[in-house]
Amino acid sequence: MSIQVEALTKGYGPLTVVHGISFEVARGEFMSLLGPSGCGKSTTLRCIADLEDASSGVIRIDGQTVSAPAQNLVVPVHERQVGMVFQSYAIWPHMTVAANVGFPLAIRKVPARDVARQVDNALEIVGMRHLRQRHPAQLSGGQQQRVALARAIVGRPRVLLFDEPLSNLDAKLRESTRAEIKRLQRELDVATVYVTHDQEEALSMSDRVLVMDGGRIAQAGTPKQLYRRPANRFVADFVGRASFIDVTRRDGAGWTTAGGLALRLDDTDAPTAPRYQAMLRPETIAISAGGGAEAPDDGLNVLRGQVVESHYLGAYTEYMVDVAGARIKVHAAADFDVGAQVTLRVAPEFCRLVAIDDTAQAP
Amino acid sequence: MPAHAGAGRVLTGVYWATFALVAAMVAIPVVALVYGSFRTSAPGLPGEWTLRNYAGLASGGVLSSMLTTLVIGLFTSVISIVTGAAIALILHRTDFRYTRIVMPLIGLTFYFPSFILAMAWIIVGAPGGIYNTVVDDMLGMPWLRADIYTAIGIVFVMVLHQVPFVYLTMRGPIIGMDPIYEEAASAAGARPHHVLLRVTLPLLGYSLISSFILTFVMTIEQFAIPALLGIPGQVTVLATQLYLLVRFSPTDYGLAAAIGVALSLITGAAIWAQRRVTTAGRLTTVTGKAGRMRDLPLGRWRWAANLLCFGFVFLGLVMPMVILLYTSVLKWFTVNPLEGIYTLRNYAFIWESGSTMGSFTNTLIVSGAGAAIGVGLGLLCCYFTLRLRPAGHRTLDFLASLPFGVPGVVLGLGLLWAYAYLPVPLYGTLALMVIAFVTRFLPYATETIGGQMVQIDRSLEEAAWVNGATRLQGMSRILLPLVSLSLQGAYFLLFMAFFREISSAILIYSVNTSVISISIWSFFEQANWGLASALAVVATVIIFVAMALILRLAPTARRG
Repeated sequence: MSIQVEALTKGYGPLTVVHGISFEVARGEFMSLLGPSGCGKSTTLRCIADLEDASSGVIRIDGQTVSAPAQNLVVPVHERQVGMVFQSYAIWPHMTVAANVGFPLAIRKVPARDVARQVDNALEIVGMRHLRQRHPAQLSGGQQQRVALARAIVGRPRVLLFDEPLSNLDAKLRESTRAEIKRLQRELDVATVYVTHDQEEALSMSDRVLVMDGGRIAQAGTPKQLYRRPANRFVADFVGRASFIDVTRRDGAGWTTAGGLALRLDDTDAPTAPRYQAMLRPETIAISAGGGAEAPDDGLNVLRGQVVESHYLGAYTEYMVDVAGARIKVHAAADFDVGAQVTLRVAPEFCRLVAIDDTAQAP
Repeated sequence: MPAHAGAGRVLTGVYWATFALVAAMVAIPVVALVYGSFRTSAPGLPGEWTLRNYAGLASGGVLSSMLTTLVIGLFTSVISIVTGAAIALILHRTDFRYTRIVMPLIGLTFYFPSFILAMAWIIVGAPGGIYNTVVDDMLGMPWLRADIYTAIGIVFVMVLHQVPFVYLTMRGPIIGMDPIYEEAASAAGARPHHVLLRVTLPLLGYSLISSFILTFVMTIEQFAIPALLGIPGQVTVLATQLYLLVRFSPTDYGLAAAIGVALSLITGAAIWAQRRVTTAGRLTTVTGKAGRMRDLPLGRWRWAANLLCFGFVFLGLVMPMVILLYTSVLKWFTVNPLEGIYTLRNYAFIWESGSTMGSFTNTLIVSGAGAAIGVGLGLLCCYFTLRLRPAGHRTLDFLASLPFGVPGVVLGLGLLWAYAYLPVPLYGTLALMVIAFVTRFLPYATETIGGQMVQIDRSLEEAAWVNGATRLQGMSRILLPLVSLSLQGAYFLLFMAFFREISSAILIYSVNTSVISISIWSFFEQANWGLASALAVVATVIIFVAMALILRLAPTARRG
């Protein structure tokens, strides 16, 4: 119940959209492919399902090679035993709920009695059993989503694939469905690949997240690793909100801003790169009024600046603070006026050094 | 403001004029037909009210032709829908290699006039025709003989004529279908042929039913094929029976009118059913993002797909054209091309014969001017029913779409009845021909123009009004330029339809108003195959040129 992808490449004519990526998903693991649109995440997923032909590389499901174009070996989609949930659900409009969910079984010639029982089970799990005779046109978006989920799990698939399944739901429903998908996946204990462009979804559901950019893997890691120690500016920007200050290595040890201010940074395992920046998460910064007196060194980085913008968002206010030319985002419950002088304090473990790759220009 | 009020008055005037014109065009022949069906005498002669014509519908002869009509219609529709849908699936859903070649050829076949197709197949399949001479005299296998003058022959030629229509109506739904439903079925474990049978075809169900009903309607109102093939073989359908009752003694105009009413009721009911199906189908419309499903591999069935597609194009277009070309350059008809004496005298005759050139001129006048009138009327109807929507616009919409349900030969009969009584000297004029054609094909114009007009956001015109334009200026400066492509498309569509129209002309033409289709028909009936073929070749070339212009001007106007 695992997936292995080795050096997967996918091109359309002269255009290559996936550049030889490799990853593994273990049995029971929930892995997300996260990235902006056009980054190749959906294409990767569709190659695993064989809805797209891989150009090269090897894909294995449960140790069985299902795609190896070099050896001319392709196991067609209907023999891969995958469960898949599509973005627009793809509930067949000409079949009832029960017929939709029973399709994967009936098509594999499971006896009718067993089909009925398993369909009831699957619908029970998603809480839709009472609607089994309905037609899709009579269902809401959230209900269709549940039917799609039931259909994906009913055949005891070897792997579960999700292609942005929540993007058509409203915010409230999205949150509850998230928890439900996660619970189901735990129960089934099956390798799962989940494609999304919503970083919150990826962080909250996944055991591991693979951030993709331009058909390559930008970083793979646990949600905490990605958020706290992004490998580069792209990941830092895409996962969560962040501000950046240009820094250079000081003679000896430590880092300094362009304005000459010394910063204590978390630079463990930082890759070598031509340029570096310090990344600050807005909720890790403490903000206080006044730019005044020197405080005793308490081991925190201290920055002084002026509030230039403020956006009230209810739970907190997002301030833009100008610190020697750099714009720093800060989230705080306290009120400050635009133009006010403020002092920012942030612990070194929340000041992460990120590499700027000049070849792939960061936005 | 006075300027606006003035423009409003002009528009109101134009609206009621349009309404009156459309109502007259549609209502006069229909009312006259119904009137005629209750009369004992021929049009224009003194007679009495009677129900005897409707009693006549129950006579053995009429009942048997009604049965023949329905049986031929059903068989033709079933075979056409299977063949047409199969070709559409092969061309657009599989890795068939020659889609770019076959697709335009099927488009050409669609515009190949039915009476010309039937003529070519008579030259091939008549008892003394090419096929029978070959199997009998040259191969010595008389058991292979076949006769085109039979119900099976009629079904065969009608299928050749209708398959392109099915293909064209199914192509859109097949290409526009959201591939996700099929992908989900594949992911759920369905093999390609199961995906086709359990998901693709059921999802296309409404389109298939709609196309089936329209094919059925077009088949039972088809006049030229059953007339050319059925009259010699004494296979009578309602449309040809109506024609025989009017044209050959003993004539019975009353019974013909009653048959016309019955035939219109059948087609009208079928079209009503088709509208219901399309409205119901809208709930589960399967158009979505224009994603492209991977082509299905044909594998070891490739030969069958090739055979079907190329076989159809060969039988429906290439071979008939070759036969007509061959026949048109022969001095005397012979099956063996080596024994033929070749001549261009048939083509020369077209030039030299005053009456043939006259029918050419007539056709160009009727098609050229008639199409312009049809487009203008269609544009007005669309503007009023889709944009301005004044009181009564629903009635106008209904009236303008009514001719869809009236078979051409019935319309001709209705006009025959009407202009025998109306104090307008229209009978025997080209104007009557134009009226008949415009009435019959008005729905073509409104469908083409309306199809584009609904896609143009109202706010574009509203913005013009806000910026000081009157309604008339909004129409002329904003709407007209935006729908101009569909106007051109509709013009050529009507031009082509008028050019090849025969069923509504056959009862109302006179010696002076003969059009090309009638000339070809007459030459053929006089057994002058060479002259008929030469004229058919010229007419076909003109139609194909017009079609090339359509494709160039308005790719959206392809559907007829």
